[in-house]
Amino acid sequence: MRAYQDMVFSTALRLTSNPAQAEDISQEVFLRAYESFDNLRSSPKAGGWLKTVATNLTLNHLTRHRKRWRLFSEIFSDDSREEELDSAAEVFDTVLSELEADERRALVERALQDLPTHQRVPLVLYHYEEMPYQDIADKLGISLAKVKTDILRGRVAMASLLAPGGLGATDHRRRSPSTQPGAQS
Amino acid sequence: MSTRDQTEEKLERLVSQVLRDQPLRQAPASLEARVLSELAARARQPWWRRGIASWPAGVRVPVIAGCAVCVPLVWVLSLWLVTRLVTVTRSRVAGPLAVVQGTRHTLASLGALFTHMIQSIPREWLLGGMIATAALYAVLFALVAVGYTLLYPRLAYSKVHLT
Repeated sequence: MRAYQDMVFSTALRLTSNPAQAEDISQEVFLRAYESFDNLRSSPKAGGWLKTVATNLTLNHLTRHRKRWRLFSEIFSDDSREEELDSAAEVFDTVLSELEADERRALVERALQDLPTHQRVPLVLYHYEEMPYQDIADKLGISLAKVKTDILRGRVAMASLLAPGGLGATDHRRRSPSTQPGAQS
Repeated sequence: MSTRDQTEEKLERLVSQVLRDQPLRQAPASLEARVLSELAARARQPWWRRGIASWPAGVRVPVIAGCAVCVPLVWVLSLWLVTRLVTVTRSRVAGPLAVVQGTRHTLASLGALFTHMIQSIPREWLLGGMIATAALYAVLFALVAVGYTLLYPRLAYSKVHLT
């Protein structure tokens, strides 16, 4: 269990963006693994099995909110402009490379968690789980076009959170001496 | 490939790279303890409160055999009961059925009368009535839209300033 608990917890957390829910889901995953312990004990596919179960359980958990993200996904059209895509690519290409590795990782994690569910879930399934667009559409019960649109919007939204003036600015402000307690004295 | 497609492809590649560089989040220290305590709690449960797969073979086999006998038995009994019920119901509802048929005839006569009345109204009157109704609905929607437009910004304003 120790070998896989970080992977299972991360899988659930990236999809839910809620540590308490991710812990509950991880617990359920390991309880199911225990039921299939005889098959999994010597299987080289144990990691893959745990990841699949974690993903499926998390998606089941999120199903109750699915109508909400479908609605938001359908209300707004794909209005990403050329300049937005350019500036988003620039954020990922240059702005992030200027940060320290730890700072960059923390910032990316926060940006991912701050994305709305209807963008975060397909984005995580595509980039982390390496699921094809069609599989994501089938899993979430939305059209292929909407999956592509939501993922693209998610990338642009993440870039705007990571850009100077987004989350990074908040962090910077928090760390700057003028805003530290006792700085005025 | 258009410039937009190229930019989208570049963005996809960069996002993939950044996300895959992310390390795994450390699971909370409480997770292992939670799983183990849940497993211990399940192990403490008596066998009849667990899933049938973990029941002793001496109990499981007779239960499965009993179920295998019960399913066709329940099926046959249900069929027999339904047949009996239909026979009894038919004999009992013969009287009330006559009343229902009388009511059906009365309703049919009323329907014919209504149709005759509608047909006797001049078409111009009907058309005028429909147009008037549609116009009244349009006025109602317009009033609601105007009211919403006038009131909504105030609600949003007060919400922003209250929170």
